[in-house]
Amino acid sequence: MDKTLLKQQIIEALNLEDITPADIQDDAPLFGEGLGLDSIDALELFVLLDKQYGIKLQNKEEGKQVFRSVDTMAEYIDAHRTK
Amino acid sequence: MTAIIADHIISPLGHGTAANMAAVQEGHSALRMYHDAPLEPYCASLLPEMPIMDGLTRFETLCVEAIRKASEHYAQLPADRQTVIILSTTKGNVEHLATGDDPLLTTSAQKIADRCGNRNTPIVVSNACISGVCALITAMRLLEAGMYKHAVVVGCDVLSPFIISGFQSFKALSDEPCRPFDKNRTGLNLGEAAACMLLTADEQLAMNAYGTIVSGAIHNDANHISGPSRTGEGSLRCLSDVLGEKDKLAFVNVHGTATAYNDEMESIALNRAGLEEVPVNGLKGFFGHTLGAAGLLETILSLHALEKGLILPTRGYSEQGTSYSVNISSAMRHTDKREFIKVLSGFGGCNAAIRVRLGVPTEVMPQQEEVTVKPMAEVRLTPKGIWLNGQQLPTTETGEALLTELYRTYIKDYPKYFKMDTLSRLGFVAAEILLQSIGEERFAAREDRAIVLGNRSASLKNDTDYQATILPDNYYPSPSLFVYTLPNIVTGEIAIRNKYYGESSFYVLEHEADLLPLAQLAMQQRNTRSVLAGWVECSTKDNWEAHLVLLTK
Repeated sequence: MDKTLLKQQIIEALNLEDITPADIQDDAPLFGEGLGLDSIDALELFVLLDKQYGIKLQNKEEGKQVFRSVDTMAEYIDAHRTK
Repeated sequence: MTAIIADHIISPLGHGTAANMAAVQEGHSALRMYHDAPLEPYCASLLPEMPIMDGLTRFETLCVEAIRKASEHYAQLPADRQTVIILSTTKGNVEHLATGDDPLLTTSAQKIADRCGNRNTPIVVSNACISGVCALITAMRLLEAGMYKHAVVVGCDVLSPFIISGFQSFKALSDEPCRPFDKNRTGLNLGEAAACMLLTADEQLAMNAYGTIVSGAIHNDANHISGPSRTGEGSLRCLSDVLGEKDKLAFVNVHGTATAYNDEMESIALNRAGLEEVPVNGLKGFFGHTLGAAGLLETILSLHALEKGLILPTRGYSEQGTSYSVNISSAMRHTDKREFIKVLSGFGGCNAAIRVRLGVPTEVMPQQEEVTVKPMAEVRLTPKGIWLNGQQLPTTETGEALLTELYRTYIKDYPKYFKMDTLSRLGFVAAEILLQSIGEERFAAREDRAIVLGNRSASLKNDTDYQATILPDNYYPSPSLFVYTLPNIVTGEIAIRNKYYGESSFYVLEHEADLLPLAQLAMQQRNTRSVLAGWVECSTKDNWEAHLVLLTK
């Protein structure tokens, strides 16, 4: 899938003002330092997957695995998307 | 110290305090599964269909009914000219957003006051899940200050797709009856209820009291707008403030929502406060989390249990599931002690506790010292510009762009600003410019500054935005919008930025002038030396105004 599009969707969903897709590395951790994301951002990523790709993650634990980096998200989307 | 002379509970377990107490003693719960698409299936405690009073909504009917029944033996009290009506709720008639009817809390509060024949302006406390205890604290302050003689405090929330979808977007709900403090707890259940307490400062009436609110405290975690402090900062400070003599405590009735983080946080706060051996119980396994009613309902039942010499059980608990050990009462226990603490925590990082004693007030309250309050600085912010102590500051933008211009000029390096709703941006930017102007040291943790804000429309603008994410044909409930559907989040944003561990309160009022007395009462609290107070009104993206002052003694 188009990782730049995914990064753009993340930036919009999480209101990451002043950040561009080029600022987010494909394999860098999304959480922890860096983008300064928190638990509400993680919940908003569940909504992004559902809304854009028709993927309903079951629980927070699953989210932790999927949302490790843009790479892991893209891989999961490719394997599970329904739209 | 304030006398409790009457109460009433309406819940799915019964109509009346006695019926509810009997149901709890028998171990009943009304928690059950509901299937109501597009909501995911959920487990909740919902009130059955009931007749609605003419001209009122279901929410308002419940409030009026609870007040009428509570005042059965004091029929003149609600309409007394020295009585204030205080409404505790998180969302009131928010379901009206879906139908285009008036959802405002001030409208509901006025209708409730009118129905009770009360002519004083009602006060709405909307401080997330701690509202009920905050409303009792506000009542106690008003009575102790002699501003009113009696208070009718009523707490209620009704559940609608708006609230349920929001908690689901937070993945906070359990799909089985909740298990507070248990190893296998999987989240909270929501519940509907209305609960009312009558309080008085009248010496004659106080002779009839069966309970006394001895002290109360409110503190912010200064940590996160939805996650509780990992070290229980605010809850610890509340417990410590109201503690009194530990040996006199029968139990602590905790918030106990059965989410992983809340119960863990409370176990830490209880231990840090030295309360690890005092019996602890939680009632959400019977009623679910009844939001604006919780503080009242749980206080009322705790008090009546103590009258019977009982510590109520924690339904759903079987095995310790917090990393710090606490003395959970899983089964009914007996006690001959006469005091308990009720503690709550909520979104916006807020925490509140009261200590309640069985029987009539025993000590005469010392006359409070008259505190002279002076404003140190003042800021006014509208879509057209900003005025600091009457002087307009140079800006070029208008409307929402003005808020972001001010952020870029005066703050610059706080990207969470862009995640905030308009109400929080407004209060946050106005507070920042006010605090920068007085030249004090910033960002050192402090306990002595309270934040007391209020407005007329609560979180209406953001409620409307959240409602747009739960349309039946476009249903993607947004957690980052839902969290801001609590107006007190703006106080949390300011507390987090500034590391303020003092009081944080939010009131919904018809007029700005009604807020100042409440801010002055916050100032009279022992540990408070200054109050960041003001009006932050925001009804649409273009219709907002902030007027903040920093008050000092």
